[in-house]
Amino acid sequence: MRVIYALWLRNFKTFLRNKTALIFNLISPFFFVYIFAGIFKHEGIGNASAFMLSGVIITMVFESTMRISASTIDDMTGGFMKEVLVSPISRLNIAIAQFISSATVATIQGLIIYVLGLFTGLSLSPSALLLTIPVMIFVGLVFSGLGLFIATKAKNIQTFQAVSLAVTMPLVFLSGAYIPLSLLPNAMQWFAYFNPLSYAVILFRAVTLGKLNSSGAELVHESIAFKIGSFTVTPIIAFGVLAVFGILFLFLSTISFLKVDFSKMNRNKKDLIDF
Amino acid sequence: MAEMARKIIEVENFTKKYGKFTAVNDINFSVDEGMIFAFLGPNGAGKSTTINTLCTIFDSTAGSLKIDGKCVSSNKSEVRASIGVVFQDSTLDNKMTVEENLKMHCVFYGVPKTEVDNRIDFVLDLVELKDWKKKTVGSLSGGMKRRIEIARGIIHYPKVLFLDEPTTGLDPQTRATVWTYIVKLAREKNITIFLTTHYMDEAEVCDMVAIMDYGKIIAHDSPFNLKKQFTKDRAYITAKNCERLESLLESKSVGFQKKEKYYRIDIGEVSDTLNILSELKEDITDIEIRKGTLNDVFLEITGREIREGAEE
Repeated sequence: MRVIYALWLRNFKTFLRNKTALIFNLISPFFFVYIFAGIFKHEGIGNASAFMLSGVIITMVFESTMRISASTIDDMTGGFMKEVLVSPISRLNIAIAQFISSATVATIQGLIIYVLGLFTGLSLSPSALLLTIPVMIFVGLVFSGLGLFIATKAKNIQTFQAVSLAVTMPLVFLSGAYIPLSLLPNAMQWFAYFNPLSYAVILFRAVTLGKLNSSGAELVHESIAFKIGSFTVTPIIAFGVLAVFGILFLFLSTISFLKVDFSKMNRNKKDLIDF
Repeated sequence: MAEMARKIIEVENFTKKYGKFTAVNDINFSVDEGMIFAFLGPNGAGKSTTINTLCTIFDSTAGSLKIDGKCVSSNKSEVRASIGVVFQDSTLDNKMTVEENLKMHCVFYGVPKTEVDNRIDFVLDLVELKDWKKKTVGSLSGGMKRRIEIARGIIHYPKVLFLDEPTTGLDPQTRATVWTYIVKLAREKNITIFLTTHYMDEAEVCDMVAIMDYGKIIAHDSPFNLKKQFTKDRAYITAKNCERLESLLESKSVGFQKKEKYYRIDIGEVSDTLNILSELKEDITDIEIRKGTLNDVFLEITGREIREGAEE
């Protein structure tokens, strides 16, 4: 526990100390709120700004977990991970600390947008905030697994950035976070069904907009939930699907992290011989 | 005394291959507790591979490696708890302060919470960097970072401290400082030091030296014995009367080489040499005696310089 806490605190401090990144990470979400909220004003969505904002927040949570995984790669190649790995602590503890700090940072970034959103005249229900935080932590945990998995497979920062961009963009745009899935072509909608982020968006939007108790038909009508065939994915079902994805990601990334050979990280053949 | 010492590191038939490339080829050696042991050799000789395997970072291809009686491949976490490591490249967390780095290390190695602050002060005192406790590591110079790493390496009181090229990339003055702390640690705290280096002068002050080349240990002894076995002291003489010098040297069957302006004489027994020199004292205008170095040892065994055309 002491080890997990220390590593968590370290990752959290690293995040807080990088103030430039902290501020710049908040710029693009607002860009999306204002542009897209303007576009969808006339598309039959009740409160376009709130609808958009909830999508932007959960996307932010998702993207932060990816960014934090990039810093994990930084540690792996930058040497600090070597210090961690020659110490007697178990790799499992390191992985757990990565997941928890990832989820913490992601939640905080999501919360900042949430709170800023309240000040900019958007009407998200502040009373929903209590339920919002656990959902953000949950979503953060799910995707921290995906992030760590990609990080351990990519092995260097360039590959990671390329892969994470290739994964992040389609996942975000085909999740309903910015563009309601009903506006997408059929083939793309099918992709969205396999996209874990789609379920995170349903769950989070229903919570922030206070629609947890609404009927399935109502949610589909408001573009909050979607139907697969005649089957409606309600927020509760979305939670279940996301949990399955989460267990899968955490499991795969833990296995991959336990097995990865850090001595091969970001090294070329010449370096290897020089060992 | 030497016979009494306990073997803290034991390596038997250790081989490490990267694919088809054999980095370390069936080596055997042991290190007694409390000594400074140096691995000397050119880049790519297999020194770092050996140190990394001993530190549990790499797995060996074959052979048995033990630290304090524990096998490094089957008993990783116990071995890790009993060693300190300073790698060739910095493994400090640059975004954190010196104190935070050391605290983190204490957590990793399970140093009791109540002792952490005392130990941090103790090791920072040792490397004379107490005033830098609250500074971010990224703001320190290369030499200071290396000293912090050495301090961190011993904060959990390891039995063996591994140092992979601890002074590479440091300026001569910093090198000397860092080296002072290394010797101090070994002598005052009785920590066994295992280091790799390609600096001759550093290897000279170690208790034991193993010379590596192409993955093999080609010599293993104290610097004194190595030099005694493989090198000869040499006298460089300039004389007024060259013919008489040559004939005398020939009559005494002393090996010499005639150079452009001087004679190079291999010195065997000091007393013989002194006798010859005293007979020549009228003719000698200048004399310089050079002791054999570890570089000469390497040259003698392999036929080449340890760092051909390299710095210094």
